[in-house]
Amino acid sequence: MAEPILEVRGLVKHYPLTRGILFKRQIGAVKAVDGVDFHLDRGETLGIVGESGCGKSTVAKMLVHLERPTAGEIRYKGEDITRLSGKALKAVRRNIQMVFQDPYTSLNPRMTVGDIIGEAYDIHPEVAPKGERRKRVQHLLDVVGLNPEYINRYPHQFSGGQRQRIGIARGLALRPEIIVADEPVSALDVSVQAQVINLLARLQDEFDLSYIFIAHDLSIVRHISDRVGVMYLGRIVETGRDAEIYDHPTHPYTQALLSAVPVPDPEAREHRERIMLTGDVPSPTDIPSGCRFRTRCWKARERCALEVPALAVPEEFRDTSGPAAHDSACHFAETLPMWRSAPGRAVPPEEGGEHGSGPE
Amino acid sequence: MLLEVRDLHVEFHTRDGVARAVNGVSYAVEAGETLAVLGESGSGKSVTAQAVMGILDMPPGRITAGEVLFEGRDLLKLKEEERRKVRGAEMAMIFQDALSSLNPVLTVGDQLGEMFTVHRGMSRKDARAKAVELMDRVRIPAARERVRQYPHQFSGGMRQRIMIAMAMALEPKLIIADEPTTALDVTVQAQVMELLAELQREFRMGLILITHDLGVVADVADKIAVMYAGRIVESAPVHDIYKAPAHPYTRGLLDSIPRLDQKGRELYAIKGLPPNLTRIPPGCAFHPRCPMAQEVCRTDVPPLYDVTESDAERGSACHFWRECLHG
Repeated sequence: MAEPILEVRGLVKHYPLTRGILFKRQIGAVKAVDGVDFHLDRGETLGIVGESGCGKSTVAKMLVHLERPTAGEIRYKGEDITRLSGKALKAVRRNIQMVFQDPYTSLNPRMTVGDIIGEAYDIHPEVAPKGERRKRVQHLLDVVGLNPEYINRYPHQFSGGQRQRIGIARGLALRPEIIVADEPVSALDVSVQAQVINLLARLQDEFDLSYIFIAHDLSIVRHISDRVGVMYLGRIVETGRDAEIYDHPTHPYTQALLSAVPVPDPEAREHRERIMLTGDVPSPTDIPSGCRFRTRCWKARERCALEVPALAVPEEFRDTSGPAAHDSACHFAETLPMWRSAPGRAVPPEEGGEHGSGPE
Repeated sequence: MLLEVRDLHVEFHTRDGVARAVNGVSYAVEAGETLAVLGESGSGKSVTAQAVMGILDMPPGRITAGEVLFEGRDLLKLKEEERRKVRGAEMAMIFQDALSSLNPVLTVGDQLGEMFTVHRGMSRKDARAKAVELMDRVRIPAARERVRQYPHQFSGGMRQRIMIAMAMALEPKLIIADEPTTALDVTVQAQVMELLAELQREFRMGLILITHDLGVVADVADKIAVMYAGRIVESAPVHDIYKAPAHPYTRGLLDSIPRLDQKGRELYAIKGLPPNLTRIPPGCAFHPRCPMAQEVCRTDVPPLYDVTESDAERGSACHFWRECLHG
């Protein structure tokens, strides 16, 4: 297989907590991201899902160099970019662009749309010569489905969906290879979300883009992603192809997350099984020992408090080729029967190699 | 009938002109029943609820017509003083953002207890005991200790439980929940919705659930009213609407949900944008975005046609509801 376009190894971001004014002492750390590994192939979409505070947005910021990692590597085409600076960094940054969540605060209200999108060319003049920039911006507006004549308008003259299109046009301006989209549709109205998702999918084909798509809406992530990583408290707890994660989850957190998603089908109400998690996510300043999910897990045993489970194919599935054989950071990984019969989740009948047992 | 809203009209005076936020909304809720009001931002779903609760900012808002009958009594005709007695004791509201709805400088115990000192004339000590009891009921662990804490010391899910406790305090007959779980994570959302449903069953309350989430609606509602540009465009029992929508807007919303069998294909998207409320299109407000629009849609405002087929009442404000329902 070809080399991945982006590879992340052991990525860590700790924010120190200090006490004292003159003599600052570190008394702890917010472990926002605590050892994340993944890769992204060219032309592929990797979805990252997780609840608020799981560190998914911090990962996004590190990928585009808005935050410096505490430890770990981000390899772009094989080269570690975390310690780059100056010219070399600038060149790499051009290729990894970001689309932000909130189209209301991520566009400068005092700049025209043309300036917002064209600003990138001031920093990277090699992409577009001065005389050509305006035309380039107009073309970009057209690409994202906005009228090119709107180039002199200000952000407040647009609706939320249109603003997100402007944010996407800005992300495309430098013709990047990778787009990191952090919750790109969650601030939009339902009827407008589908428009923006379609736009992102079309642009991916048109410009051969690779996406890191971060969201908390599981059905949207599934729709757009080739592979999915589930994050909990600073780590990826399960990762695999979309069908592996959604139809054959083996990590209890993924199972609880999927079962909690409201299904837009009232018929499903009666025969739905739900895994109700108790309690809240622990504070990232005080991460539980061993498995970090154990405090909310119904399967937790002594081993979970002592040993950190590795993100790997669980032992019982290692010799199989079924969809349950994907990376899952749980000592007691298993598939649950509810995913074979749950309505709304079209699960193929018993596949070879799958031998999960029910919850105890 | 517990609550009946009849032909409610609300407008706002803004610099850009008069925004007609609610244009003739009628709905009804019985005791023990859950009505979901579904709509996007600007559809008028929250404004209607605020008018029902009597917490609409006036001015700039103005109720120009309509009735809000609560157990047969028109609340809009009551004096503010009488209205205040209804609010909290007879009907209560749960808001989306619990953090900004709670007072940051008072302990949650004080805020919960206030319901009893103000409405029931209890002593502070008795009210405190009631507050602990309420926190227990919404399953906040260690209620006895946490009753002394401030809102910022609680997580989002716990804060929303406190809001529910506060709404439940005086055992009202009707609860209006405005996007109660939108700010919460999915696993917490499931917990909070279950708690709400359980309390509703226990006390046989009427519940108006305002949301934009078709999934949440399918999970808990008995019937739905779909709102668009200040009007109800479709109302139906929850099972019917998901099986066969009778309005193109509802159909569009349902079709734009990503589904398994459509992976990799383009999602259905309703074209265009929701209208500006100061310039609502003539005729059917949805016609500029509607794939079925004909000449008549541009000129005639569709009434809420009776489209009842089985025994449960259904309505659709579409001239071509037959085509929509069967096509």
